[in-house]
Amino acid sequence: MNMYVHELKAYRKSTMIWTISLMAIVVLFLTLFPSFAQDAEQFMKVLEGFPEELKKALGLTIDTLATILGFFSYAFLYIKLSGAIQAMNLGLSVVSKETRDKTADFLFTKPVTRVQVMTSKLLAAITSLLVTNIGFLVALFLMVSIVKTQDYSMKALFMIAITLLFLQMIFLGLGILIAVLFPKNKSVISVSLGTVFAFFMIGMISSSTDDKGLRFLTPFNYFNDQYIIQNLSYETEFIWISMAIILVTVFASYSIYRKKDIHSV
Amino acid sequence: MNVIEINRLTKMYGKSRGITDVSFSVEEGEIFGFIGPNGAGKSTTIRLLLSLIYPTSGSATIFGKDVVKFAPEIKKEIGYLPSEVFYYDNMKVIDLLKYSASFYKKDCTKRITELAEVMELDLTKKIDDLSLGNKKKVGIVQGLLHEPKLIILDEPTSGLDPLMQQRFFDLLEKENQKGATILFSSHILSEVQRLCDRVAIIKDGAIVQVEKISELKQNNYKKFKIETVLPLSGDYFEMPGVNQLEVKGTTTSFIFRGDINTVMQKVSTVEIANLWVEEPDLEEIFMHFYQREE
Repeated sequence: MNMYVHELKAYRKSTMIWTISLMAIVVLFLTLFPSFAQDAEQFMKVLEGFPEELKKALGLTIDTLATILGFFSYAFLYIKLSGAIQAMNLGLSVVSKETRDKTADFLFTKPVTRVQVMTSKLLAAITSLLVTNIGFLVALFLMVSIVKTQDYSMKALFMIAITLLFLQMIFLGLGILIAVLFPKNKSVISVSLGTVFAFFMIGMISSSTDDKGLRFLTPFNYFNDQYIIQNLSYETEFIWISMAIILVTVFASYSIYRKKDIHSV
Repeated sequence: MNVIEINRLTKMYGKSRGITDVSFSVEEGEIFGFIGPNGAGKSTTIRLLLSLIYPTSGSATIFGKDVVKFAPEIKKEIGYLPSEVFYYDNMKVIDLLKYSASFYKKDCTKRITELAEVMELDLTKKIDDLSLGNKKKVGIVQGLLHEPKLIILDEPTSGLDPLMQQRFFDLLEKENQKGATILFSSHILSEVQRLCDRVAIIKDGAIVQVEKISELKQNNYKKFKIETVLPLSGDYFEMPGVNQLEVKGTTTSFIFRGDINTVMQKVSTVEIANLWVEEPDLEEIFMHFYQREE
């Protein structure tokens, strides 16, 4: 418990910054909606001239763009991008911090098991992400209720928005695993930006080509907003894959972390 | 009863050597010195005891319990002070110490203030702003605040001024009198000689010797450098106990071990221009050990 609180405090600032930034993106994007909805016709015409692949890559679906859900899911692509960076950063730094700040000796000579240390860190990271997601959801639903032009499915909106958390959990697991495997890595931000952007690019390619195989490769495309809007459900196979990735990365991290030598500085 | 028992402990880092076949034991209530030059394997041994790293082969027990299997339980009663201390920079000293105390299921508040007072440590400062010596003091308080039964110190005096070193040694002696066992690793022989009952000497990852300090003291190594008015014959100081004798013109130097009076008598019979008698550094003692082994 003391470790959990300590970790939470350590990430208080960065969690606040990420949460407020994500909320700001939501607010900014959705304030554009009313004027966009008014001139939707004209936008559509412009967009029709775009190559099909580009529209798909950017997540633009013309027929839904004028609705609040469609408009939001376009913005959501970039919110997911930032959210993934936050989660991966968090996963990497929550584990590698002890090595980087050379505090591992302090922590691991205390009467705690490695499993306890990892659990505290994991729970603190998840808490941070939950805080961010709650902030995001609050901002989202407030803004949507202000700017909406017609009724919309709250359930669909929630189901889309909550995939941010799913995606973040995947990248958190990935970050933790990488940090456990390469504890000497000094630069958290370059690793997380690199990895997340790589997956993001794969995601764009996969969207524009509709390649089913590629889609499995990138968590960004596990949750298709259009599918959710239409069916009010997730694609089961991708839910399973997401859970599998999270479980495998976390389990692998635990078992490596338990047996790892903590080297002196 | 042995508090620490190390049995043929070996640690390899890939193919490079950590320590090989290290065995020794530390009895309850003793202050046990652990000396050797840098890179000899002192820290490796200590990190194995604390299960920060895991052995390649061999085993060790603390309080009769295996250090790997019962690590968290054992560590309740261990206080550890590393040679270089690093803490969470943006915390205040008192917060760090409270965090440290929160790992042990007892109230350490009073003890923290007591220790901080002795070591003249300002509890309200940020760790960031502390000098090396002051960080070391945080380390000392942090290592002792839960009144551990076993105190493990890895080259603890670096960065402390002589006065603080003295206070620190007094603290250790007090803890020892209260029943704490101490494992004291150092590369400074005089420190170890002063504080410890027994000492293990490690070199190149293996234990060279485990000896009582009282015996080491009898052996009393001294490094002599004598400048005489007239050149001496090369074998003037050839006598039992003299090692590494070197004569260069009017300057003679050697390491001496044994009754110091015999050498002083010999010195007094020549006219000397200058005289240095020093504690030999560890390397020189080790040279001696190697010579004895050959």
